[in-house]
Amino acid sequence: MSLSKNNLILYSGILIFGIAAPFLFPAFKVQLSILCVLIVLATTWNIQGGEMGYNSFGNILFYGLGMYLCASVQVGMFFPLAEWTESGGEKTFVHTPAQFFQGMAVGLIVAAVVPTIVAGLIGYSILGLRGHYFAICTLGLGVAAGEISGGIEIIGAGQGFTTPPFPDVGSLDSRGEFFYFLSFFVLVLTFIAVRGIYSTRFKLILNAIRDNEDKAEAMGIETMKYKIVGWMISAFFCGLAGGIMGGLVGYIDSTDVAFDGREMGVFMVLMAILGGKGTLWGPIIGATVFHIFKEGFWTFFLGWQYVALGVLIVVIVIYFPEGIMGWLREKYPERFGEVVDERDRKAQVELK
Amino acid sequence: MKISKLIISFISAAVILLSTSVVSFAKVVGDKIVLGAAISLTGKYSSNGVHTQNGYNMAVDRINSMGGVKVGGKTYKFDIIYYDDESNPKRAAQLAERLISQDGVEFMLGPYSSGLTKAIAPVTEKYGVPMVEANGASRSLFTKGYKYLFAVLAPANLYLDVAIDLAVEKNNGKGVTVAMAFEQDAFSQDVRLGVLDAIKRTGSKKVIDDKLPKELNDMAATLVKVKQMKPDVLVVSGHTKGALTAIRQISEMKVDVPMLAMTHCDAAKLSKQHGKNSQYALCASQWHKTLTYKDDFFKDGMTYDADFTKEFGYAPPYQAAESSAALLVFKDAFERANSFDQKKVRDALAATNMQTFYGNIKFAEGGQNVDKPMVLFQVMCDDGGKCENKVVAPTKWASAKLIHPIPSWSKR
Repeated sequence: MSLSKNNLILYSGILIFGIAAPFLFPAFKVQLSILCVLIVLATTWNIQGGEMGYNSFGNILFYGLGMYLCASVQVGMFFPLAEWTESGGEKTFVHTPAQFFQGMAVGLIVAAVVPTIVAGLIGYSILGLRGHYFAICTLGLGVAAGEISGGIEIIGAGQGFTTPPFPDVGSLDSRGEFFYFLSFFVLVLTFIAVRGIYSTRFKLILNAIRDNEDKAEAMGIETMKYKIVGWMISAFFCGLAGGIMGGLVGYIDSTDVAFDGREMGVFMVLMAILGGKGTLWGPIIGATVFHIFKEGFWTFFLGWQYVALGVLIVVIVIYFPEGIMGWLREKYPERFGEVVDERDRKAQVELK
Repeated sequence: MKISKLIISFISAAVILLSTSVVSFAKVVGDKIVLGAAISLTGKYSSNGVHTQNGYNMAVDRINSMGGVKVGGKTYKFDIIYYDDESNPKRAAQLAERLISQDGVEFMLGPYSSGLTKAIAPVTEKYGVPMVEANGASRSLFTKGYKYLFAVLAPANLYLDVAIDLAVEKNNGKGVTVAMAFEQDAFSQDVRLGVLDAIKRTGSKKVIDDKLPKELNDMAATLVKVKQMKPDVLVVSGHTKGALTAIRQISEMKVDVPMLAMTHCDAAKLSKQHGKNSQYALCASQWHKTLTYKDDFFKDGMTYDADFTKEFGYAPPYQAAESSAALLVFKDAFERANSFDQKKVRDALAATNMQTFYGNIKFAEGGQNVDKPMVLFQVMCDDGGKCENKVVAPTKWASAKLIHPIPSWSKR
């Protein structure tokens, strides 16, 4: 992976901005952390939905799984988990700072690894489905996971799971800073990984699957293998994002926070499409625009925000069917390194 | 790659947008005390969210028009910043953070439902923002050692255990069989724990223990079981939708059960929406208009009921009454603290000992109100089909006698 000079400036600029952001906008730390998580979700969804052409509504499964796993490990390493969640979490145990951070670290590792394995197993059985069948099947996964986890007593069932509160270290801001840098770190990690993937043959194979899976197979590509690996990569980062989000929200509810297919599950698709699916920067831009829109307009259209969101979706579909990146590409093709032959274009128009 | 330029300009635009949207309110602006609240205006709790908001608004208007809050010789008026939490805990926690760190709110009012309060409490606690909440009853809220959380209502486990006691009493002190159906959410599951305790205490037996999905729209499977097992008591709790679904399906399926105990009947306006079908249902309530508590602002329950109905066009459920009471508590605490220092206000709140139209308010160590019992009312209809909620227990407040057992559908 080689970086051009321009890219280097861009990346270091973003990195510096990312590191400075919580100090520039101290009041927005939580929103910025959530933005990082949203970008991770949109970017990883794009691997399936954008590059591979498999519209997955199931990535929320890994996010929720990561959330529950991270919190459970964080508690279970030091205290009996069953007692922590019993009767809606009546008993209170207090983590020392060392316990909290150790638990979080191990929890995040588990939250990344287990969903990856689960993605491999599930992927093996359902990635044979195509098109609408795959979409519907994955939609079911998230819903089922929400209902099942709402019945498991040890993780709080319907009462929800209160994650360990942040220990008293440093100032009032340290919690926000901790979660921001954690989520920013995961965002950077995701970006590096995805950018790395997109510069290899792997991406071309995913695109081949999207464009014509049968032909790809006929050319000797083991499409199943690549589809599963692609999904496992998404699951890895979704799990991490979920683990962080659990700690950030502080309270896990089975269907409203963890397996929140209605919101997060739909948002990740929406953000990728808004920005332009099948591009590296599309999901990132989409998530940012979406988050700003959501946070800003939610305040002004109190109670009507979902109507506003509906309007946004309609506008996207009608005016930006290819997303913001796609629209820009059409408008300024030369900026994307495409050469347009003016005579050729005119000739085509005339033919039509 | 030219695209980098586009992205850079895009990011700078985002930064400018972010930085210009920093709006900061101080806790006290001029003569206003600004309180913050995340309320469920959309989503599954929206009807109760609106009851809560109406309750808050009613009290704000009343207190402001009757002289406001006097602190340090100056008169202040209440003002509330609302956000919509979409009935989602994740959103609620985020909004609490936003109210405190962006809007500069230093005092909060609670959201609707236990789950959302559970999500907000760690945030207010972290910042040391006193929160008086009126709609988070889950017992586990009060065992976490929260110092800045105060609830004007009785905890959830006390909602329906009285009903079990009542059934046992009617059964000559012998244990009864209980069928339970509870929504999978923090509040309803806490009510379930209270019922389980009561079952154990009275030597009763649970025969059905079903968990129902959120956004409860169908509980036919449970009712089929109830028809076959014929329990002495059927207990259902699932917020407003749960109450509506239960009555609709029980009347459709003609399920006969000697006692039907529920929550949220008045929030669901059962007696109005389902009329005679809801007759005999026994409901747990934090408040009822016939209770004889008094205060200077709303006078008493009957007056509150009349004023609220005049303003909002429907009779106030207890969710509205307790929300109004939360502001009375805040006013009282501000005046006693005679300061806007969060610690001092917090200490004044902890020392609260007052009567409101809604009931006595005195906080225990954990923040729950220990000075106000729950009441049970029964939906009773006259021959004309006009239904009313009448308090039947505890005896001190009872305005009617419990009808038990419920006559079977064939005899109605």
